[in-house]
Amino acid sequence: MDKSMQVIVVYLLTHIGLIFFMYPTDIIECLETGHWSAILLGFAIHVALLAVYLKGLQFGAPNNVIDIYKRFGRWFAIVFLFPVALYFAVVIVITIRAYSEIVTLVFLDNTPLWAIMALLLAVSSLVAVYGVETIFRTGILVALLFSPALLLVFSLSFQNADWRYMLPLIDQRAASFSYVFREPFLLSFFAFTGGFLFLGFIPPRIPYKPRKVLLASAALLPMFMLSVYVPLLTFGQSAASLLQFPFITAVDTVNVSWLMFDRITLFFLLSLVGFVMIYISLVMWKTALMIRSVVTIMSPIVTILLLTASVFLACLYIPNWHAVERILWWNTLLRLYVMLVIPFVTLVLGFRLHRKGAAH
Amino acid sequence: MELLEHLRNRQRQDADLFIHRIFLDRYPVTLVGATSLIDLPQTVKLLQTQVRHVVASESPLLAISGGIGERIGQEELVKVFEAITEGKLIIIPDNADPCIKLFPISRKLSRSIEAPMTENVLRGGISAFTEDLDTNIGIVKKQTMTDKLRIHTYWLGSGLRRKATLLYMDGAVNSSFLRELQLAVESHSTQDVPDLQTLNTMLGFTRWSLVTRFNTTELPENASFALNEGKVVMFLDRLPFAIVLPSLVGDMFASDNDRNYPLFFMLAIRLLRIVGVLINTLMPGVYVALVSVNPDVLRIELAMSIAGSRVGVPYPAIVETVLLLVTLELILEACIRLPKSIGTTITMVGGIILGQAVVEARLVSNVLIIILAATTIASFTVIGFHNAISIRISKYVVLILSALFGVLGLFAGMIVISAYLASISSFGVPYLSWPRSKEQSDG
Repeated sequence: MDKSMQVIVVYLLTHIGLIFFMYPTDIIECLETGHWSAILLGFAIHVALLAVYLKGLQFGAPNNVIDIYKRFGRWFAIVFLFPVALYFAVVIVITIRAYSEIVTLVFLDNTPLWAIMALLLAVSSLVAVYGVETIFRTGILVALLFSPALLLVFSLSFQNADWRYMLPLIDQRAASFSYVFREPFLLSFFAFTGGFLFLGFIPPRIPYKPRKVLLASAALLPMFMLSVYVPLLTFGQSAASLLQFPFITAVDTVNVSWLMFDRITLFFLLSLVGFVMIYISLVMWKTALMIRSVVTIMSPIVTILLLTASVFLACLYIPNWHAVERILWWNTLLRLYVMLVIPFVTLVLGFRLHRKGAAH
Repeated sequence: MELLEHLRNRQRQDADLFIHRIFLDRYPVTLVGATSLIDLPQTVKLLQTQVRHVVASESPLLAISGGIGERIGQEELVKVFEAITEGKLIIIPDNADPCIKLFPISRKLSRSIEAPMTENVLRGGISAFTEDLDTNIGIVKKQTMTDKLRIHTYWLGSGLRRKATLLYMDGAVNSSFLRELQLAVESHSTQDVPDLQTLNTMLGFTRWSLVTRFNTTELPENASFALNEGKVVMFLDRLPFAIVLPSLVGDMFASDNDRNYPLFFMLAIRLLRIVGVLINTLMPGVYVALVSVNPDVLRIELAMSIAGSRVGVPYPAIVETVLLLVTLELILEACIRLPKSIGTTITMVGGIILGQAVVEARLVSNVLIIILAATTIASFTVIGFHNAISIRISKYVVLILSALFGVLGLFAGMIVISAYLASISSFGVPYLSWPRSKEQSDG
């Protein structure tokens, strides 16, 4: 029973949910021309890390990431994985807070922020309590239900495109990769690193083929391109760089005379929020798994409920959008650790386990 | 005689217990059984014929025990009473020999095979299952015509005994599912099963499930298709339905009877059912969300016309919707309870009250009436009444969330329902899986 399909769908879903909000803002801020070079570079790094990580997991199979690290000592695992758990927790807080803010901005301006955060958190933790198999199956169902709206919006989004904004294709800054260590580019990795670690937490009862996941990651490249180039082609670089959520605004300009709805953004946005809820539930489940591997007496439900409560409190303490952006930037350090260190260490550990296993 | 004494005592409480003395050849015997279950004159005639044959062949009379019945010792009271309850005839010889239990000619207590009452067939076999277990198994055997069909019989319950039969197709069935199912049935076989709710708990499913864990069908054709797909069919005595396990999401949309139509038509009709389910669960929520929380989403002309239709309606959209929905549910429930001859009255009264008077009195908007009528009709496009109920309930989740959070609540409701459906699995077979013999894939 190969369940690669489920894994691939959830992998794509979680990334698509993250791409269309902050990512275009960062990339547009990062470069003036030749945005494709930044997208391609980020994407290449993503695929390379994914490959390394998957290879490590393959060596260490059938253990999951936590078990692989635990094989080298309990404290070893705690030291290496604590930053990951912390990163996950912060990611949940940021995502919930940011998406509630977006929802408020775009269409629920009368609803208090805490109510929206409570809804997002409640739904995510409900899905997380059900466990990983349910998350995957929900992912498939949600993808089936929501993708028509997404495809419609994607196909309509070029309505106001002016293709001359594509030019010039490249300048010296883009060609020299001088943007790599600047804040916006590092921030843009939020969209790349959010999802793929979950591949290491999948229990062996959900078998999947790493090669298929790698191949499926190619489907993300058009999404990254779309998210940046739709606003660029609609508004041009200088106007697009002023917008908080360029893609959403670009889609808002689309006018379809035969549709009964005035704003197709809403359905697009909500589909993405749906995907993000799946993403948060996945991260919650991962975090709970890590917490429970240390504090073994806690039941999954209690762990997730405690996590939910603390995330909600943390979200309430974030006063405004500026604070969200600050936390996002502080989290970059953790993010770099998670995206660079974990895959390579996993590869090394997995390789050693594999050799040990082969020697026996 | 001790046994006869006991039986006489019992007769004082059970009026239909007969204790009838006759001579078989030259031996005096007592026949015991239930008049309500045994056709006595016919049975006696059968006995006499058989005795005559035995006498003619000059073998001792009790040899008939090897031929038509089985022996029970006179001291085994429990067994005797059990046999009587099952409708068997007990022959007690006057000497102390063991009694003989035999199959009598029983009264005809179930209806003959008829057309289905709860499912309509437009193209395909029309005979339906009946209350008689053996008849049902016979119908399935005739429908499948294969030597791969396996049949297991269990007696369930201690006080209220009921016969249950599991049928499956060797080679097609998911063996781990079958094993767990049999284990569940065997380990709870002393539990009484008066209804399907207790069957649910007996099989270890939660009682609060919103989704039925087994489908029921009246049509032999559907049962045999299910068997071929690797599902397990269960019959309970006195239940004129085949219980099909496990229940999958596809069963809501795909009836095997559809295969009697051209392929394109079949696909179109299944798509229509999916649309029906979506309309039913989402439309009330969409209305409330768009009217009360997010009117800006609609094109201005449409928003104006909906707002226009609500002029004079004195309460918020959610109250309006819930009021009308409850009325509709009441009509549905009333239609099931009422005898057929009065059913038309309800249609008329409901039609006039809802269609005309409510709108004219400005109690609800006419757009809402259109939406809810579509909703109600759509809820019955799915297959099986048990499935229609579960989607009827799920629309209220969406409705409440939509009233609170608008379109965001609508989408959140969809995710909650999806997650709930995804969390259900019976004996390791997820509800959201596609039937494939032996292995499951999800989607």
